[in-house]
Amino acid sequence: MKSRFHLRILWPFVLILVVSLVALILLFPLVQNSVSQHALETGGEANYLPIFSLVFLILAIGLLVGLLINIYYTNQHLTTLEDLTFAAQELGEGRFREIRIPEDVGNMPEMQDLANALQKTACQTEEQFNALNKEQAMLSAVLDNMTDGVLIADDNGKVQLLNEAAERLFKIESEQAIGRSVVEIMRHYSLVELWEKTKNGNPETITMEMGSAHKYLQVIGINLEKDLPGRTMLLFQDLTQTHQLEVIRRDFVSNISHELRTPIASLKALSETLLDGALDDPPAARKFLVRMDSEVDNLIQMVNELLELSRIEAGRSHFEFQRSKPCEIINNAFERMSLQAEKAGVMLTKDCPQGLPQVNADPTRISQVFVNLIHNAIKFTQKGGSIHLTAWQEGNTVVFMVQDNGAGIAKKDLKRIFERFYKADQARSGGGTGLGLSISKHIIDAHGGQIWAESEGKTGSKFFFTIPAAVV
Amino acid sequence: MSRFTLDQEIRLVQDEILLLGSLVEQAILNSVDALQRRDANAAEEVYSNDRKINAKHYAIENHILITLATQSPLAGDLRFLAAMLEVNTELERIGDYAKGIAKVAMRLADSEYPIPIREIQQMADLATSMLHRALGAFVAGDIVAAYSIPEEDNKVDELYESTYRKIVEGMINNPDTIELGNQVVWVIHNLERTADRVTNICERIVFIVSGESVEFDVSDDENRDE
Repeated sequence: MKSRFHLRILWPFVLILVVSLVALILLFPLVQNSVSQHALETGGEANYLPIFSLVFLILAIGLLVGLLINIYYTNQHLTTLEDLTFAAQELGEGRFREIRIPEDVGNMPEMQDLANALQKTACQTEEQFNALNKEQAMLSAVLDNMTDGVLIADDNGKVQLLNEAAERLFKIESEQAIGRSVVEIMRHYSLVELWEKTKNGNPETITMEMGSAHKYLQVIGINLEKDLPGRTMLLFQDLTQTHQLEVIRRDFVSNISHELRTPIASLKALSETLLDGALDDPPAARKFLVRMDSEVDNLIQMVNELLELSRIEAGRSHFEFQRSKPCEIINNAFERMSLQAEKAGVMLTKDCPQGLPQVNADPTRISQVFVNLIHNAIKFTQKGGSIHLTAWQEGNTVVFMVQDNGAGIAKKDLKRIFERFYKADQARSGGGTGLGLSISKHIIDAHGGQIWAESEGKTGSKFFFTIPAAVV
Repeated sequence: MSRFTLDQEIRLVQDEILLLGSLVEQAILNSVDALQRRDANAAEEVYSNDRKINAKHYAIENHILITLATQSPLAGDLRFLAAMLEVNTELERIGDYAKGIAKVAMRLADSEYPIPIREIQQMADLATSMLHRALGAFVAGDIVAAYSIPEEDNKVDELYESTYRKIVEGMINNPDTIELGNQVVWVIHNLERTADRVTNICERIVFIVSGESVEFDVSDDENRDE
């Protein structure tokens, strides 16, 4: 630092000097007179010792006064400096609100300037700090609320940042992850490969399936070299749902082709046999035609169900809601299906408690749901088994149940059986279009109810659906 | 040799083990996926990828031996490196199981044999999830997980038993399927063995943390498939 000389600090000395000089000038003649007089009176030599003593005394008093003044001012300066240092420390530690800068520092312009400068710095720093805080809060809010996972790593492969979505994806808390290697956190070779490529300046985008959780991810590598040297960012987009939809669509197309192919192939075989000469054998020809007729019926039913499903899905299906009695719905379904159950050797029973509230429903559609459920139950129940229909009230809804003691449904299939063409038992290729439950679900949805299935392994299944009670 | 170098080497080996683990895990899942989709090409890919797994296995073995020779680790470090040597071998064997499943998938690709794919997928998910968590516990020295993960092996065993019975029933009802059914038995067998190997890894975790050699109660005998 350049040293400067402040003349102002000389003024106590000047003061002392001036006072001393004035005192000397004033007192000197008096003392000299008295010395001369004393010499004259005693006739001895003039004794100048008192003069010297006086001069020393005055100088000593001057020095003492100067020292006192000095002590006073130095103390004042030091106190102010201490306050300012303390304030500067507070500032350094970011406690802006607690800073107390002495407003009046007495007659010390330099100290006043320093205090003012400190005050200004504190204000500005607080403003900047708040602005930064706000910006950071905004950024972390964006980071933590985005659905995509973000991971930033340094060039040694140590994780530097992990947002909440990434925490969920890798099942680890950000605090535990930071500083650990990307391999340890991501635990997948494709991701580590992507990170290495991105780090080396060849960012890529990959899609991958992760582990036994079967998460489908699109991962984008971004090299942050420009803004944050050495840093690499990976962006994880969860496409599991999209992928599932894609799988359902693919299954749908492959199923529908398969389902259509079977009756068409039979038709083709039967018609070929007829053309090859079976026509000349009227009894055989008739048998073939009957089978062809039933295959065509199958096809018609499937196409109708498909059309129905697409109509319901598109919301173009017409429902005629009316107040209906739950027991009438059950009786109706029971009568329609009892013959079929009898043929299959399955006992169909029903009970319907008295006093159930009326429901707001389209009876034809609900009966269709019942028929679908009973039809399924018959299909998966062996000869000698039983199927039971019942209903009860629960709050503002009426719950209907179809219970069987048939093959049951595996737990993991329970959720998927309402998908189009989903068949829990893939080995069972024949029988049914695989659309019944899907249509039932849509019908119940349109009624504002719910449909679900429960099954305890091989002891049978229970299908439930609810319909809201009609408002009285 | 400095402590720093040893730590760094151990961490590098650890990362390599985790990478090999993820390769093996994915190989099992991919082989089962190829089986489900009856996709011979995908199965072929898993089959040939086993070479990558083997190469990685040897590289890790080399790395560990060099570290042992040059750093002279002691106590916990020595146990950790020795355990990694063993885990490395376990992982390589699981890789072989995946290869075995891929081989069956190639054979079954053109057949109509009704594969009990749900059960197989469930077994694969369970076994790979166990493997994933066991390796995580391995690097973290998580002894609680080391004791709890092997318990899940029972679920895999149960699935193995029920699926095995299902396949055998199919063979009895339709003797034409005996050959392909037998192949599928190999698949579930490999998955069941995978879970057993995971329990071996868990035994190693206990060894690293406590220095004790424990034997988790695995319901089958170790010599069954070798």
